[in-house]
Amino acid sequence: MSELDEKLSVILDQYSDDEHSEAVLNELLDDVNLQYKMRRYQMIGDVMRHELPDRINLDLSHQIMSQVRQVEPDESSVAIEKTTGWGFALSWAMLKPFTGIAVAASVAMISISLWQTAPVNPQPNSDGNQLVSAEQQKIEKLASQPIRGNAVTVSSNLGGGTRWTVKQDTPAIQQKLNAYLVNHTEYSNSMQGLIPQARVAGFDAEQ
Amino acid sequence: MGTNLLDAELVKRVQAGDTAAFDILVQKYQHKVVNLVGRFVSDKAECYDITQDAFIKAYRAIGNFRGDSQFYTWLYRIAANTAKNYLASRARKSPGYTIDIEDAEHFEGESGLKEYATPENLLLTEEIKKTVFAAIEALPEDLKSAITLREMEGLSYEEIAEVMDCPIGTVRSRIFRARDVIDKELRPLLE
Repeated sequence: MSELDEKLSVILDQYSDDEHSEAVLNELLDDVNLQYKMRRYQMIGDVMRHELPDRINLDLSHQIMSQVRQVEPDESSVAIEKTTGWGFALSWAMLKPFTGIAVAASVAMISISLWQTAPVNPQPNSDGNQLVSAEQQKIEKLASQPIRGNAVTVSSNLGGGTRWTVKQDTPAIQQKLNAYLVNHTEYSNSMQGLIPQARVAGFDAEQ
Repeated sequence: MGTNLLDAELVKRVQAGDTAAFDILVQKYQHKVVNLVGRFVSDKAECYDITQDAFIKAYRAIGNFRGDSQFYTWLYRIAANTAKNYLASRARKSPGYTIDIEDAEHFEGESGLKEYATPENLLLTEEIKKTVFAAIEALPEDLKSAITLREMEGLSYEEIAEVMDCPIGTVRSRIFRARDVIDKELRPLLE
């Protein structure tokens, strides 16, 4: 039982403020017998914590060190560990948000280029007015024609039924109705809505 | 200098080219790494081979260890990755040996050839455990309590001093004396 052995015991534990610890470490590195003692002290702890393997290999450290003395430390194996272990997961985790941003940027670019190359829609106000005016003329023409055969107008039969009186002759109302019609055609859930370039707007009383 | 500081100092010396310092680290952590690898690989012989690989990888890479984590955390990570890679590569390739059908009955595979996977080693391990626990049982109560609180409960010297109501110097001395008594019983088995 020596003072050095006691210092070795202390150095293995998580307590030592001994300023001579470095000297013990130097001694440990030079003294093989002290190394064996350290190994036995370590083994006592391993046995008590049930950490000793089922079949102990007493030559394991010698086998490892004989291999170690043949290799030189380098950085290549670190790269291997990183690509196969935690490092791979970390690098993917770091790349993932950038991948999302790249996809979003691509979609935005395509959308902008499509919008720029698409034909400009005609002005709804001017053309719409023309369409409504043309339809109004047709309606007036039909209304002025006499009813043929036995047909009678619904309104004359029902007498006091519900009637919608639309003041179509007011330009402001005509313009508003036509704008509704155009907007509905463009944005409704139909092929016209999906393809704004192919635009159908207006109404036909004969259909 | 606590355990972690001891590890840090040893790592520093390995990085400076002192191979003997790595030997201390191997002796300190070999059983823990074998146990860790044993959770991935059931075959004991393969387990020791992987442990050996893990330590060699750690040695080769130690120049890059900056001490951001504890050395043993870093070492365990390397060991776990080595074991996982081994399992993955074993799943990909077929056994690399051919045997005659007549010899198949007596063939034990590669692991059967490794000398540490022997009944003698199993017996030695059992003997070591029995000796240590018998020596602990024979210790005076104050030494037994001190070494048990330190090794099994993982208490620091300050905590043990509080539990045992004695100065830290006494704790330090009791732990050392307990180790020394057990070591005297253990030493003949390992020589």
